[in-house]
Amino acid sequence: MTDRCEETLGVGLLCEGQHDPGVPPAGLRRSPSGVDGLTTEHLIINMGPQHPSTHGVLRLIIEVDGEEIVAVEVSVGYLHRGIEKLAEHRRYDAVGTLMDRGDYVSGMMGELAFALAAEQLMDVEVPRKAHWLRSLASELNRLASHLVWYGTFGLDTGAMGQFLYAMREREALLDILEALSGQRMMFNYIRPGGVVADMPLGLTEQIRTFLSTFDTYLDEYHQLLGGNEIFQMRVKGIGTIDRQMALAFGLTGANLRAAGVDFDVRRARPYAAYPELDFEVPLGTTGDAWDRYIVRMGEMRQSARMIAQLIDGMPEGAFTAKVPRIIRPNAGEAYASVESSRGETGIHLFADGTEHPYRMHYRGPSLFAAQALEEILPGHLIADAVMIVGSTDIMLGELDR
Amino acid sequence: MRPAIADIERLLAAFEETTVAEETPGVVARVSLADVGDVLAELKSAGYESLVDFDGMDTGELIELTYRMRSYSFDVELFVKTTVAYGGTIESVWYEYPSALMPERETAELFGIHLAGHPNPKRLLTTDGVAPLLRKDVPIRTVEEVRAR
Amino acid sequence: MAIDKFTGENSIAFIRSEQLFDFARRNSLWYIAFGIACCAIEGLMSASGPRFDFDRMGVFFRNSPRQADVMIVAGTVNHKMALTVKRLYDQMPEPKWVVAMGACACTGGPFREYPNVVLGVDTIIPVDVYIPGCPPRPESVQYAFIELQKKIARRTEERLAARNR
Ligand code: SF4
Repeated sequence: MTDRCEETLGVGLLCEGQHDPGVPPAGLRRSPSGVDGLTTEHLIINMGPQHPSTHGVLRLIIEVDGEEIVAVEVSVGYLHRGIEKLAEHRRYDAVGTLMDRGDYVSGMMGELAFALAAEQLMDVEVPRKAHWLRSLASELNRLASHLVWYGTFGLDTGAMGQFLYAMREREALLDILEALSGQRMMFNYIRPGGVVADMPLGLTEQIRTFLSTFDTYLDEYHQLLGGNEIFQMRVKGIGTIDRQMALAFGLTGANLRAAGVDFDVRRARPYAAYPELDFEVPLGTTGDAWDRYIVRMGEMRQSARMIAQLIDGMPEGAFTAKVPRIIRPNAGEAYASVESSRGETGIHLFADGTEHPYRMHYRGPSLFAAQALEEILPGHLIADAVMIVGSTDIMLGELDR
Repeated sequence: MRPAIADIERLLAAFEETTVAEETPGVVARVSLADVGDVLAELKSAGYESLVDFDGMDTGELIELTYRMRSYSFDVELFVKTTVAYGGTIESVWYEYPSALMPERETAELFGIHLAGHPNPKRLLTTDGVAPLLRKDVPIRTVEEVRAR
Repeated sequence: MAIDKFTGENSIAFIRSEQLFDFARRNSLWYIAFGIACCAIEGLMSASGPRFDFDRMGVFFRNSPRQADVMIVAGTVNHKMALTVKRLYDQMPEPKWVVAMGACACTGGPFREYPNVVLGVDTIIPVDVYIPGCPPRPESVQYAFIELQKKIARRTEERLAARNR
C-alpha cells in the first residue's frame, strides 16, 4: 500500500509551497498593526478544498484581520482532469460525454454549445423539432441546476428545510430528463446534427403535471428562503459587484444581470428555439448577493414559462438531421456560445477535417466568477464569504475543466 | 453582432502588421505579439469593455492566442489573435482587463509559455513539474499504461 | 429496531462489548461531506434528499473528518487533490472505511488517459467498497452501504472465530 501511495504521490507532483501551510502565498501581506501598544497579526486561514460551503473543491486562502477579510487568494485546479485535452482524442459524437462532466449540474447546455460549434463547420440543416427539443432539454436542465443552487445557497446560510424541498422538485425534473435522455445527469443527448431521441410517449403529460404545481411551489420556496428576515439580513448588501466591475471581470449570466446589464445570450445571440419563445430577462439593480438571488429565482419562473410554451408548440418532424456515422466537419474554426445556468458557456473549436477535434477550448463562466472573488471578498466578514461564494453559483467542474 | 471591418481597421491603423478579416467565428484582427497590449488598450478606450475569453491553440509550430472582446454598449464582438513561439513570453493584459488574470495563468501553464507583468504568475491548475499538457507533443496515456494500473 | 435481535423479549442482551460496538458502528455510518466532482451531486446530495433519504439507514453526513467513519470518494482525484484525500483519510479516527464511488474513483473513469489524473483512489488509500457507474445511481450507493454493513458484521464474526480457534 505505502509503496503504491509513494509511487502515485511522489513523482514530483506536489508543488512546493502549495500544501505547506507554513509558507504564506505570494500576494498575501502579513502586516502587523498596533493598537495601544498591543500588536496584532493578520491570520491566514485556509478554506477548502474540503469545506462544506465551497461547492466543490474550491480553495480560498484568506487573510483576516480579526473577523474582517483583508486579502484572498483563490486556488483552483483540484478538479483539473483534462476535458480540453481529451476532447482532441474523442470523436465528435462522443465529446458530449466530456461536456456533460464539465458543468455537471447542467450538462445539456455544455453539449448544446459543442453541437452548435460543430454544426458551424458541418454542412447540415438542423430540423426545427431538434431545435425545440434542445431548448426544452436546456430549460429543464436549467431548472434542475438552479434548484441545486437554491438548496445549497440556503444551506450556506444555515437553513436546511428548503434543501429538501429543492431536492424533491429536482428529483421530479431528473425523472423527466431521464425519460428524455436515458440518464439522470450525464445525458449525451444533444449531438451535432440534432438530438438522440424523440420525446417518449407520455412525457408531455409528465411535464404538465410537474408544471401544474411548480409555480405555486416556487412562490412558496421564495417565501421560505427569501421571505425569511434572517436570510435577508445576511445577504442584502454583501458581495456587491457593480456594472463596471462585472464587465472588467468578464462575468456573465445571472451574476452580470444582477448588476443591471441586460445581456442574455438567448436574447442577444439567439440559438435553438429561443427566437420563437416569449420570455423575459430578469434584471437586478445593485448587484449584491440578494439581487443575484432574485435574478435566479426570476429565471426559474421564466424557464417554467418557456417549458410550457415548448411542450405546447412542439413541432412535428424529424428530431435529427442526417449525419454520417463518423462526423468529419470541414477544417476551420468556430465559436459558439450558449446561456448555461451559470453564464455564457463558449466553445472554441478548431477542426482539421478528421474525426477528432483539433483543439477545443471550453469557456467556463465559473472561472471568471471565481477570480472576481479575489476582488469582492476583501472588506467583508468571514461569515459573509460563504454567502458570497454561494451567491455566485460557481461549479468547479467547468472551472478547472 | 459583428462590427464593421472598416471601423476596426481605422481603430488599429497605427499598428502595422495588423490584418482584419471576417472569418467563421466573427471578425478577427491578427496583430503581432509586441502590439497586443497596446491594441487591447486601444480597444478598451474604443468601448470594448470586457474580455470574455482567452485561449491558446497549438498549431504545431507556434501557439496561437485568441482574445475574445465584447462591447456591451455597442453589442459587438471582436476576436484578436496573435502568435507566440514555444517557450516565449506574453505580456499580461490584466491591467486593462482583470478577467485575463486566471485564463492567462492557465494558458501559460498548459502551453508552456511565460507571463510578463502578471501580479501572480504561479501555476493555476496543475502542480509543479507537470508537462505543458495541451501541447500537441505531450501525449496522453496509452491503453497499455492504463491497463497496467 | 434491529436491537430486538440481540435483546429478545427480556430486553437484556449478553454480548461482547466489541460486538455491541460493531453493531453501533454498522448502524450509524457517518460519512464525511467531501464531494469532489459530479458523483458528489448524486452520491451526497441526492442521497440526503427526500427521495433516497439515507438518514433512515443511519447514514448521515458530518462536515469534519474527525467525526466521520466513512469516506465516500465521489469524483475524479487528480495529482493536486491526491494529498488532500490522503490527509483527510489520515485525519479520520479508526475504525474507518472508504467507499470509492464512480468509475473515476475506481479506475480513473472517463479521464483515465489524462496524465494528471490518478488511476483510481485505491492507489492512495485502501478502499472497502467500489461502486461502478458514471455516475452511479443513488440506489447503488445505498447498496454499497448495505454491503459495507455486511462487511462490518463479518468482521465481528471473524474476530470471534479467531479468538475461539
Ligand atoms: S465517475 Fe463519472 S460522474 Fe463520477 S466523478 Fe467520474 S466522471 Fe463524474
